Amino acid sequence: MSGWRAIPLLSRCLAGAFGFLLLTAPALAAPPATAHPAGTVAGLPEDKALALGERMYRQGLLPSGEPMPSVVNNDVPVAGTAFSCSSCHLRAGLGSWEGGIVTLPTNGARLAIPRYWKFPNLSPEERRELKLQNPAARPAYTDETLAHLLRTGRDPSGYDMHSVMPRYHLSDPDMAILIHYLRNLSARHSPGVVGDTLRFATVIAPGVSEDDQQAMLVPLNNYVARHNQFSAGFGNRMYLGVGGNEMSGAYRKLSLSVWRLTGAPETWEAQLDAFLAKEPAFALLGGLAPGDWKPIHAFCERAQLPCLFPITDLPVVSDTDWYTQYFSKGYYQEGQAAARYLHGLEDPKPARKVLQIIENSLEGKALAQGFRDTWAELGQAAMPEILLPEGKPLALATLADLLAREKPSTVLLWTGASAFPALTALTRGATGAFMSARLLGSQLTSLPELVRTQVWITYPYRDPKLEPKYSLYADTLLGGLMQRHPETRISTRTYALIQILRQALMDMDRHFYRDNLLDRIGMQRDQILPDYLRLSFGPGQRYASKGCFIMQVGPGPSPVLLRKSEWVIH
Amino acid sequence: MRRNPWATLLTTASLWLSGSGFLAAQAPPPYTRTLETYTVPDVVLVNQDGAKVKLKALLDSGEPVILDFIFGTCTTICPVLSAGYANLQTKLPAGPSKVHLISVSIDPENDTPKVMRDYLKRYRAKPGWDFFTGRREDIDKVMNAFNAYIPNKMSHYPLTLIRDPKTGQWIRIFGMMSSSEFVAECRKAGVL
Ligand code: HEC
Repeated sequence: MSGWRAIPLLSRCLAGAFGFLLLTAPALAAPPATAHPAGTVAGLPEDKALALGERMYRQGLLPSGEPMPSVVNNDVPVAGTAFSCSSCHLRAGLGSWEGGIVTLPTNGARLAIPRYWKFPNLSPEERRELKLQNPAARPAYTDETLAHLLRTGRDPSGYDMHSVMPRYHLSDPDMAILIHYLRNLSARHSPGVVGDTLRFATVIAPGVSEDDQQAMLVPLNNYVARHNQFSAGFGNRMYLGVGGNEMSGAYRKLSLSVWRLTGAPETWEAQLDAFLAKEPAFALLGGLAPGDWKPIHAFCERAQLPCLFPITDLPVVSDTDWYTQYFSKGYYQEGQAAARYLHGLEDPKPARKVLQIIENSLEGKALAQGFRDTWAELGQAAMPEILLPEGKPLALATLADLLAREKPSTVLLWTGASAFPALTALTRGATGAFMSARLLGSQLTSLPELVRTQVWITYPYRDPKLEPKYSLYADTLLGGLMQRHPETRISTRTYALIQILRQALMDMDRHFYRDNLLDRIGMQRDQILPDYLRLSFGPGQRYASKGCFIMQVGPGPSPVLLRKSEWVIH
Repeated sequence: MRRNPWATLLTTASLWLSGSGFLAAQAPPPYTRTLETYTVPDVVLVNQDGAKVKLKALLDSGEPVILDFIFGTCTTICPVLSAGYANLQTKLPAGPSKVHLISVSIDPENDTPKVMRDYLKRYRAKPGWDFFTGRREDIDKVMNAFNAYIPNKMSHYPLTLIRDPKTGQWIRIFGMMSSSEFVAECRKAGVL
């Protein structure tokens, strides 16, 4: 590995890691977007060309709809549908660094200025002020030199790009459309970068208790205050030389607004639009809503506004949505784990006939959906389901009847603790049952002794015996202002969000584009933080914790949880 | 949370002096090629169809095998390695394929059978190219056995391993190969 490639990250890492210590740098003007002459691109209206260019960049499809042909590693032909520009340069175009290969930025702002191997992030103005003499690695691209680079891999200085950068043989009109898109890609900072401040907001829906609100707001506000405070009193002088200037250019103060929603969920999107219009935010952090997160998710997709780690267990589960980064799939993921676990058992008996008994709530339905989707994905036939009437606990007689009638090998009891008295019905046979740790909440350990060896619990968190030493860190951000309520996991999740955000701000450097924030989270290494066993990331991955344990409740009046499975991921 | 700013400063300064952390032109590297002997761990992995696969039995069976390490959402390296696999498949003689292409996931949390199926589809993989995932411990064992342990998937590197069916030795190729180089290496190893 060594010698292949100098590690380019030093300046960037430093800028991020210590940026929060620096005195606020003068606000930088937004990088200039190359003004494109009004009118048409390759005979198309500009907005149409932009949409087609985006499809080329993200999906590798030509304006004709055919896959974009390219050649990689000198002679390997590749269709654009296998991978596209965004697979390597990422959605915002700022590139990536993976395993010794640097994928250079290809966004509008960077293509419009010369590239330097040293201190690549300094703006032309900063270079002038610092009287830097080092020569540019390449001049700013013209449309002609950019087309030449994309076709041949040779930049205007004569440097031949590494052979992993594909060569694209595009027609003139197609090339014009792609270049039009690149010129506009991350060309201007996103909204929410105001003067020397990066503005964030957090959403609180009606019905969240005051304690729960504080459990999120205290650590968030504390973090923002500390970030802003550390900058005071430390000047650029501390960071001698050009690198210091480059670093301080990435520093922004942070601000956090609280957007409190009122009324019915159908009205939230309009309220959110109004908040965003009044005080544009760069991204949303955390957030609390007692029910479905969907209205806020939908708003973020539409407004193209990142939302980082809302504190919800009812996320939208989607393979393609972009803007909300969740901790996990919540209840859905527990249902998924039940399916995977049953499917993976050596003994085929428990999986023979699985009956889902579902309480009529968002939570119950999400659990059932997670099982249903995953079971089908594993190639299994659909299984019977019973939806309980709303607000009525499962009665002993009902469960006994269902067991007698359906003769399931396993029941998934997606209900709360109100069903405990009915569980006696299980003891009449050998039927095993699954219940959800989240849905049972603090009642989990009062599971009737009689059925404890028959009931498996889907448990989405780290083994509780090991948790305290991870959760402890979260207290540092509560600053003694409040007690942590471990059972809500709100302050611990807020703490985890802050750790990931801090890293993302470092990695984002001075490239303040909303998509870049998400791209940088996508490139983070796995994190070991409170609550979840492991948080992992990747471009487009939106559910950081992907597994679940299967537990049983041990014997006695204050039982421990007994781990019955490994971390279930497949 | 609270950091000592002076400690930070010192770290900064020392990193600063060690210097050299700047972008430099990346000359297309020639790949390196070594001959290695590996002991395949006895682990059970899961393929794109959700079927269990005994890795040791498979790799020691004597069939011609090529192996790499990738993951579904990897940037730059995996797309290019996989394009190489896909292209090699088009060069193979018609009929049931002799050589077995294997990609082992280094992101087992995300790479479920479905993710792997979709990935292979994107590359128009033909039968004879399988994508394996598994328990993290088992994946770690496989990486270790091939001297390819990567604690952080984002710092993984391009590696292609070709098993010589006659000697059981592995040709370890570090770096990226062109199509003609890949075919030549396969011929040399006797897998084509
Ligand atoms: C397989 C990964 C990959 C794909 C796909 C890819 N690139 Fe690149 N690109 C790279 C790498 C790596 C470099 C840097 C090469 C070097 O430094 O030698 C690069 C360099 C570039 C540069 C030069 C930047 C500069 O400052 O001179 C531009 C522009 C660019 N790519 C645009 C694109 C566009 C547009 C697409 C899609 C049509 C694309 N790339 C697809 C990996 C990729």
